[in-house]
Amino acid sequence: METEELFTTARMARLTLRPDEVQRLRAAVEQVLSYFSHMREIDVEGLAPTTHALLCENRLREDREDGQDLADRLLANAPEREERFIVIPNVL
Amino acid sequence: MDWRGLTASGEQTARWKSLAIERDRALGCFLQFDPDLGLAETAAAAEAGAAPAEGELSGVPFAVKDNIAVRSFRLTCASRLLRDLVSPYSATAVERLQKAGAVAVGKTNLDEFGMGSSTENSAFQETRNPWDLSRVPGGSSGGSAAAVAAGIVPFALGTDTGGSVRQPASFCGLYGLKPTYGAVSRYGLVAYASSLETLGIVSKTVATLERVFEIVRGRDPRDHSSLAWAPVPEKKGRLRIGVPRECARISLHADVKKAFEKTAAALKRLGHSVEEVPFPTLDHVVSSYYVIATAEASANLARFDGVRYGSRAAGAENPEALMTATRNEGFGDEVKLRILLGTYVLRSGFKDEYYLRAQRIRTAIRNDFERAFGVVDLILMPVYPVPPFARGSAEADPFTQKLADIFTCSANLAGLPALSFPAAVEGGLPIGMQFLAPPFAEERLFAACRELEAVFPSPDPPGFPAECR
Repeated sequence: METEELFTTARMARLTLRPDEVQRLRAAVEQVLSYFSHMREIDVEGLAPTTHALLCENRLREDREDGQDLADRLLANAPEREERFIVIPNVL
Repeated sequence: MDWRGLTASGEQTARWKSLAIERDRALGCFLQFDPDLGLAETAAAAEAGAAPAEGELSGVPFAVKDNIAVRSFRLTCASRLLRDLVSPYSATAVERLQKAGAVAVGKTNLDEFGMGSSTENSAFQETRNPWDLSRVPGGSSGGSAAAVAAGIVPFALGTDTGGSVRQPASFCGLYGLKPTYGAVSRYGLVAYASSLETLGIVSKTVATLERVFEIVRGRDPRDHSSLAWAPVPEKKGRLRIGVPRECARISLHADVKKAFEKTAAALKRLGHSVEEVPFPTLDHVVSSYYVIATAEASANLARFDGVRYGSRAAGAENPEALMTATRNEGFGDEVKLRILLGTYVLRSGFKDEYYLRAQRIRTAIRNDFERAFGVVDLILMPVYPVPPFARGSAEADPFTQKLADIFTCSANLAGLPALSFPAAVEGGLPIGMQFLAPPFAEERLFAACRELEAVFPSPDPPGFPAECR
């Protein structure tokens, strides 16, 4: 894999790689991708893709409160907060 | 021993706690061990449901892999990124066990987000195999398996995405159940590969496994992929047990081979037939599995951005930089590798070659199983090609570990239930085998394992406390 390809993929995954990681991860990615290439050997003509093993349909449920009030417990995990707002760096 | 009421308080509890702490010090099973907090949560769950908690599991301690939510406990997934996360709620399976009176006493170590087969990909600590401290307990549910094997708890919850319950159970001499996909709610499980993963159970006896499974299974309105329990009719008497013909081509360690032959002989002695079945896709299960698992992982792990929870990188000047820096600092190598692979196989231009092809191979794998189960009642395979390996990846590097998922990941691709069981102790190390069954035929797995358990129960590792039997 070209280094540029690796960087593009990393950017899409919201990762930036340190130089030592580029070395290590590029070798590991290449090793696995080369193993994946054996998939070409099997004939999949006429086979529909499986997305879920046993799931056949979407299931909906009624939209209602379930009595759990998680808001405070969820907010307690925010890394930076001002009262009940989560703080992030400036967008603009 | 009678585990009931063990966590209640008193002299017996104190003895159990000090034994647990002492054994854990040597093994590193737990990332958090807090029986008192667990007891409070069980009391709260019982109150909410107003269920009498006087059953078989009342006061029975259990351990929970740290990618499954237990309210008030941390939920780290063994990742630096979630180091301080405290779970706001409990997984449905945990809640059902708590309502039955069981007590979640701690959170166990794992490979970060469940990605690995040795528990060495944890950001926090190593877990050792109770059979030999120089060896890994397997993974990714290694902490759960080690805690049960050490006699700290009679059962533990884990997750199995490609073998992560069955392989550590096998490495530690235990039973490990990967249920039918959807049979147990995944609500409260931190998602890694949603179409493959199931919540699973590790225990020292088949009876405990069955009892726990009865409690946790069934449809859950909070997980739309959960299914109502619809068991297939039990099969009485002589079973036809299939062994994929292509297994003969996979190189097995001599001890694993020996354990496999011993199991086949035991099954024949019990009156069952053991026969070969064709399984032409076996060579492609690992590729198909890793393409799909990494693709799903890259999407599922996109949520970890340092904004709403988790540790956040300091000094970022805009949200994009914040996300990138948080993920760089927070994820370990194996997680980054799988996110990169998953992102790559989903990229436009590569998707047909990898992701779509893997999904079509997945269909071929399902077809192989369907054909096999048209003839046989169960499939028998080893769990892992080698016995528990040495820590430090000298015996098995991460790539070799991936290839070794060949016997376990097909059950996940096809959504089938599978149960690994202790088959032998060779050279002082336990070796497991597994049965696979058609969807919702868990009872058939239990029945077959009960028969084998009568002749070869879960072996005790050196130093196993006699009172924990």
